[in-house]
Amino acid sequence: MVENRAAAVSLGRGFWTVTAVLAVLSVIGIYFCYAEPIDLIMPAVGAQPGEQVDTLLRFMMASGTALFIYVAGYLIYFSIVFRAKATDGPDAVGIQIHDHNVLEFWWTLIPTLFVVLLSILSVKIWYQIQVAQPANGLVVESLGHQWYFTFRYPQVNGEVTGEMHLPINQPVVLNTTSSDVIHSFWVPAFRLKADMIPGLINTIRFTPTVIGRYPIICTEFCGTDHGMMNAQVPGENGKANPGAEYVVVDSPADFQKWYHAVQLKNANASNALPSTSGTISLAGGDAAAGQALFQQKCSACHAIGPFSQRIVGPGLKGVLDDPTHPKLVDGDAATPADVATILQKGFTGDLGHMPDATQNGLSDKDIANLVAYLASLK
Amino acid sequence: MSATAVHAGGIADHIHAEPQGFVRRYIFSIDHKIIGIQYLITGFVFLILAGMLAEVIRTQLLHANGGFVSPDVYNEVYSMHGSSMVWLVIIPLITGGFGNVIMPLQIGARDVAFPWLNMLSFWIFPVAGLMLFSSFLIGAPVAGWTEYPPMSLQAGPGTSMWAAAIFLVGVSSTLTGINFVVTMFQMRAPGMTFTRMPLFCWAQLATAPLLMIATTALAAALAALFMERQFGVPFYDPTKGGSPVMWQHMFWFYSHPAVYIMVLPAFGMISEILPVFARKPIFGYKMIAFSSMSIALLGFMVWAHHMFTSGLAPFLQLPFMILTFTIAIPTGVKIFSWTATLWGGKIHFTTSMLFAVGFVGLFALGGITGIFLAAVPFDFHVHGTYFVIAHFHYVLVGGSLMGVFAGTYFWFPKMTGRLMNETLGKWHFWIFMLGFNGTFLPQHWLGMLGMPRRVPEYDPQFTFWNDFSSISSYVMTFAILLFFINVLWSIRNGKKSGPNPWGGRTLEWQIPSPPHYYNFKHIPTVYGLPYDFGQPLPYRGLEEELTDSPVHVGAH
Repeated sequence: MVENRAAAVSLGRGFWTVTAVLAVLSVIGIYFCYAEPIDLIMPAVGAQPGEQVDTLLRFMMASGTALFIYVAGYLIYFSIVFRAKATDGPDAVGIQIHDHNVLEFWWTLIPTLFVVLLSILSVKIWYQIQVAQPANGLVVESLGHQWYFTFRYPQVNGEVTGEMHLPINQPVVLNTTSSDVIHSFWVPAFRLKADMIPGLINTIRFTPTVIGRYPIICTEFCGTDHGMMNAQVPGENGKANPGAEYVVVDSPADFQKWYHAVQLKNANASNALPSTSGTISLAGGDAAAGQALFQQKCSACHAIGPFSQRIVGPGLKGVLDDPTHPKLVDGDAATPADVATILQKGFTGDLGHMPDATQNGLSDKDIANLVAYLASLK
Repeated sequence: MSATAVHAGGIADHIHAEPQGFVRRYIFSIDHKIIGIQYLITGFVFLILAGMLAEVIRTQLLHANGGFVSPDVYNEVYSMHGSSMVWLVIIPLITGGFGNVIMPLQIGARDVAFPWLNMLSFWIFPVAGLMLFSSFLIGAPVAGWTEYPPMSLQAGPGTSMWAAAIFLVGVSSTLTGINFVVTMFQMRAPGMTFTRMPLFCWAQLATAPLLMIATTALAAALAALFMERQFGVPFYDPTKGGSPVMWQHMFWFYSHPAVYIMVLPAFGMISEILPVFARKPIFGYKMIAFSSMSIALLGFMVWAHHMFTSGLAPFLQLPFMILTFTIAIPTGVKIFSWTATLWGGKIHFTTSMLFAVGFVGLFALGGITGIFLAAVPFDFHVHGTYFVIAHFHYVLVGGSLMGVFAGTYFWFPKMTGRLMNETLGKWHFWIFMLGFNGTFLPQHWLGMLGMPRRVPEYDPQFTFWNDFSSISSYVMTFAILLFFINVLWSIRNGKKSGPNPWGGRTLEWQIPSPPHYYNFKHIPTVYGLPYDFGQPLPYRGLEEELTDSPVHVGAH
């Protein structure tokens, strides 16, 4: 026992040297956590309060690195120095020490102080993100669907898809929700995420600070094509991902231009929620309104020409009358009801995929107008 | 001498005759040791199955556009991987398995309090496991092990099967929790006060209430999900007035404590293994015991840190964040105490010790990234990404599974009377460390840079680190294969171990390996902690254990 006590006084061969080495390593580690460019591990920041999040990350990485260096360092050092030697008998035992109140006091107090410090810093940054955002801002809505996002703007009819434009340096209030299952709206460059939950509106607020095009990524599993709700993922067979959607941060002038263009394009779109089930009444379809809508919503993919004249989908002239026009839904000649069904529910066939009414932002009335217009083309 | 010692709880002691038939001895056994081994075997079989599913995931992710399996199959595969690793592998191995074999021996009991209940607990588990895996036949669940509605309401019929199977596993867990609590309160040997109880038993004592209380919340959530799916009773569907967020609250009210169910017993194993091979007392016994209990208690108060992006009222995020940070304190105390236990030791690096020391390092890393995730502002960025995957694999593989390996090498001789092969064991350890870190370390930065979890295809710029991760996972799988080869080889060919190959001082090492049906010829009396190496053992009444003296099978 006397021998053990004597040994207990000395901390062991090289203890202080190792402690000093670990201190140096920790300082280097901490320095690296603060000096390294953040884009080694995070996408470049595109909005406030993204930088505050990085500040918190650097603080946690620095303290975590120091802690890990000490724990791992002592584990390895003790493992080497205190190995049983060949000269030790089978009954050799280690120093019979049970505890050390001063040591335990400090290694309880220091983590406690760290937790207090981290709490203060986190609450401060939480306050920046959740509370201290400007009260006024551009209010934008985003809806998650299986498997795409749509966006709504004040004084823009209907929904916008593909790109959500935002002006630089203007605070944004983004309200999110979902039309089916839970999705999550994540822009890594903004360091922000909101789960899109059906029946709930989940709001995030930020201010874009860098002009650019930022991919939107869904981070809550939402079914078969969840993985495709990510603008960074290419489409099948190396083609572009048709579901790729971006937040585009513009200069104020570019934003105004885009905003007016969208207002015009969607001027005739309906704000009524589209119905994706049930039968659409075609009575009272207005061919003139349908023609205007066709120019805005359909002409990007469909020509007014013979069936063989493809842009993306087939030409639609005479779709209801031309006997050579392929029979559409059920093998019989197309009827107005067939065309309305395709407009309502979308269609996937040999020629590719036609989005449904939700995705195209078409109300029942819009569909009736479009059918009336298509029927008028002889 | 007649066997009439009285337990701490005042239960008269007697020895039952050992059942003789094969079925009663090894199949429908009520012996805690056999039941524990049944749990271990079943859990390891499911580990192989769930591990194969993991390799399907990693093989799919070798290419940015996937292509190994279809997205729908991929979704089934990762959902089943998660569900079975949690409910059919880690929880049964670490509570039902090691808890059953070791805990009653360590407190000087002849069995658990309710042996028949124990048999029921076990037999529910393989049945539920088969049910879970058979859901592949009818369209397995796709929405991950968390099965958030409304996604889980849309998915195929296998999801109802999943809910029923997990419900059954939950029943089994709850019964085991009750059994263990009563056993530890009522059946400790005379003199074994709570402050003399081995730390593995303390860890089980912290875990058992979690099994009992938290699992009931999960059972309620699962019953509601099942009723909604099968009978249209609206609990979660928002279009019928339900709340999908309610599921998340109830699920995490169970599943956060479940994280501690999976790791506290591993803490306990490490606290037993380190002192034995360092030949010195565990450092800070009381603090380690106390920290287990405080982690269990705090574990009930932090569930909503999984839901920071789910539209929780912002002010509610703060208490959950700060309480989660607080868990770092008792966890830190444990890590420091284990490290200090090595100091001044005479350390023998057996395979078990290697895994125990490796556990401390890897768990420290998993704990640190846990603090990262608890910080609300940073969680907004990494929630639902591979950073989360990396974090919990460091805790559950680097922590719990490493604990299972350490415990298996340590207690295998007690269960079988034979040692495992040390050379193969050391290969297992080093290859496993290499493969494990190679698999999961890169996933931290994959997540931070923008790779979401649960995707069958991903941004092509991440191909390199995904390939790195996948190839490392094959290395890890190879290491686990070595482990199973070692187990199978050692059962027949391992060196005879004798009762106490490691010089352990807890009660299980003072009796033959494998122990007799009745464990102890006479219930010992305990006079102190089991960690004073070099001192006489703090037990009396064990003199006849290793002799051929006759056993008195007592009538009442």
